[in-house]
Amino acid sequence: MQTGSQLIEALMSKFGAGIERWEEPSPGKVFLTIQPDILLPVAKDLLITYGFRFLVNVGSDEVLLNGMYVVSHIFSQDRDRLFCCVRVPVNPANPVIDSITPLISGANWAEREVRDMIGVKPKNHPDPRRLILSDDWPENVYPLRKGFAYDEKPEASPDNRVKMKKPPDGARTVPIGPFFPVLEEPAYFKVFVEGEKIVGCDYRGFYSHRGIEKMGEDVLTYNQICFIAERICGICGFVHSTCYCEAVEEAAGIEVPPRVGYIRTIMLELERIHSHLLWLGIAGHIIGFDTILMQSWRIREPVMWLCEQISGNRKTYGMNLVGGVRRDIPRELHPGMLDTLTTIEKELSAVFKAIQGDTSLHSRLRNVGVIPKDVAEEFCVVGPVARGSGVDIDSRRDHFYAAYKNLDVRVSVHEGGGCWARTLVRLDELFDSVRIIRQALQDMPEGNIMAEFDDIPPYKEAVVVVEAPRGEAVHYVMTGGDNRPYRWKVRAPTYPNLQVVPDMIQNEEIADVPISIGSLDPCFSCTERMIVVDRKTDKNCMTGQDLIRLSREKTKKLKMRNTH
Amino acid sequence: MFKTLLQKSFKKSIWVYHTNAGACNGCDIEVINVLTPYYDAERFGIKLVGSPRYADALLVSGPVTRQVLPALLKLYESVPDPKLVIAVGSCAAGGGIWHDSYNILGGVDNVLPVNYYIPGCPPRPEAILHGVAVALGLVPKKISPVVHKEEKIAKWMKS
Amino acid sequence: MLLSKLKQAWICLKAGRVTLPYPFKPLSPPEGFRGMLDIDPNKCIGCAGCANVCTPRAIVVTDTDQDWRRIDFYLERCTYCGRCEEVCPEGAIVMTPVFEMATDDKQDLHVSIELYMGSCGRCGRCFTPVHPLDKLMNTGFREC
Repeated sequence: MQTGSQLIEALMSKFGAGIERWEEPSPGKVFLTIQPDILLPVAKDLLITYGFRFLVNVGSDEVLLNGMYVVSHIFSQDRDRLFCCVRVPVNPANPVIDSITPLISGANWAEREVRDMIGVKPKNHPDPRRLILSDDWPENVYPLRKGFAYDEKPEASPDNRVKMKKPPDGARTVPIGPFFPVLEEPAYFKVFVEGEKIVGCDYRGFYSHRGIEKMGEDVLTYNQICFIAERICGICGFVHSTCYCEAVEEAAGIEVPPRVGYIRTIMLELERIHSHLLWLGIAGHIIGFDTILMQSWRIREPVMWLCEQISGNRKTYGMNLVGGVRRDIPRELHPGMLDTLTTIEKELSAVFKAIQGDTSLHSRLRNVGVIPKDVAEEFCVVGPVARGSGVDIDSRRDHFYAAYKNLDVRVSVHEGGGCWARTLVRLDELFDSVRIIRQALQDMPEGNIMAEFDDIPPYKEAVVVVEAPRGEAVHYVMTGGDNRPYRWKVRAPTYPNLQVVPDMIQNEEIADVPISIGSLDPCFSCTERMIVVDRKTDKNCMTGQDLIRLSREKTKKLKMRNTH
Repeated sequence: MFKTLLQKSFKKSIWVYHTNAGACNGCDIEVINVLTPYYDAERFGIKLVGSPRYADALLVSGPVTRQVLPALLKLYESVPDPKLVIAVGSCAAGGGIWHDSYNILGGVDNVLPVNYYIPGCPPRPEAILHGVAVALGLVPKKISPVVHKEEKIAKWMKS
Repeated sequence: MLLSKLKQAWICLKAGRVTLPYPFKPLSPPEGFRGMLDIDPNKCIGCAGCANVCTPRAIVVTDTDQDWRRIDFYLERCTYCGRCEEVCPEGAIVMTPVFEMATDDKQDLHVSIELYMGSCGRCGRCFTPVHPLDKLMNTGFREC
């Protein structure tokens, strides 16, 4: 077991001269400021020697504080409950930094994002194209710099279209373009096929980039950001708002009453239940199994009504504020909640037994979309995608938040790495969530639901992770003056998961692509739309509708094969 | 006159194409919820179609981002006339929380001609059903603007 | 394989018909539902606390004159978070259970209140509502 101080000692003894400053504001969270030339050796040490996992990069404009741009690389170590945030100051006159993507592929998008938003270019990056900003955004205008106002709208400059990759020889391109019938949210995948087999893929997403971080820094106050954080994603909104509130509470040193933790835990687990049932329905719809769509969404409705009774709205509960929650869960609601949970558990068991023996589902899902364990670790995937490939990580057990320190979480890990393994992980989590809510209702202590606190001190940092239904969400907050944060960074769980798509669909059939991508449970804040272009005949042979039809026909074919 | 023509053309059942122009998905999930057994829009003949060419109405959710704008305009053109555009949710109706952010062009009515608005964050499935019923002319709308000025008190204070 | 299909069919049959009778019967949401705002202009004192906390900045306060303050509510942007109701010291903003807000004209969703305020003796800007006793002298005891 290693503590934060032991880690700092080990790093100081090796890199002493290069580390300018270190601090550990809360136990287990280490913040180091290092010189840019030792970034690669420090990152290598953390990743390989100490077994850390890369989370995200944060690019911050601290010119007003210390005259530099700062790129913070955040790593986490699940076994010892440690976070290590490595801050690298970059001179604004020459904004270049060493890229760590050659060390760990999971840093690919994070470094491109820093380039887009702050303008710090990663040296030796394998793919330094534009990632987030729109195709008509002018060059050299960086939104997250302090000189850029949040509502400034620069002139359109149409020549900055992202150059998509060219297909290899002999293959056709299938563009899956922004609007797709089954998967909400716009996104653009360009898939290269030879006949029926996939040989490559490229992706252009971020159609839903709304400038949330900039608004959080410029125009909204601490309490208002709780509500905008909830609308980052409509399905797992409470996760983001809890993560943000906990980060500010940690940075400011606010002690929340214990009852608050239990209320947040109950709402988080309710969200997990409704999110997994939603996914089950959508996955069934993609493979042509509309019965599952209707039945799982029917089972899901009582959860939405329950959330409405507790919080006033079916989703976007609006219950979190910095320092506590707005509404309590009074004792009169407990019997109703327990009844709903019992009904859901019963119906879920019936559904589970019914689909467990369904061999047509097995043949459709078992070896489809396989992600081997080493690929999963290389791209730092999170959530059920990682647990379905044998990687044992879960923030509820590894990094405590809300009331999870006092609750018993059973993490379900399956080998296999295909869509079926991920389905099993999600079904196990559903049953576990019901059990956790029952335990939390029983153990909930009495007390206040809002902490009393003074002004929030400026320029304090904190990192918090929360396990969303799709994986781990990371929020980094540096408090500022003027009742708003100086820098707020959000990393949604689908961010690393999407980076693994080209590797996952390589050598698969085109009909399996919708379900493979669907099994990642992409949080439609950024994905989908594919157009299939067959390179050989070079015409747009399929639309999104055709792709779904292909996916369903394959199910029929497999069913017929199994019955004969 | 256009209204009666519209009502006549949509007397039977209306086929809807749903699109997300940069939203958080809350409204999209509620739209799909309308098809599930508890709310069941299909008993009114409202069907969600997979291609805009078969659609009578376009349900748009989300504020319009710069990136999605060209695709959205192309989509609007591919829906055949006569068509209805319904903006679902607070983001589509007026831009929502991010109406003045750098990457957002405001509500859908800054980009397309919107016929009906269904506010809510997200609107309940029943509210969406009501909204489509208002769009078809089956029920009257239930809200009206409020303007208040304290004339009486001002007059007395000034006298 | 056949058994699992039978089990699935049984689940569907057992559930039966669950469709809610809305829209043929009216529906009332549960207590505490955050629906449309109802603003009582007679209770409003023009403190603009609601405008301070409104997350989508849908409440805009303009001082049109030395004595007049206008508060505009652009309810098409409202996210129904309920912070304005929490913060209002007079209880002038209330969240009702109304959720049927569809309309074809965005103006239907605008509320505009113009209040006659008292002004500061030094800088001249309006900052305080008319004194309740003065109000009472005008409207009479019966109307309070």
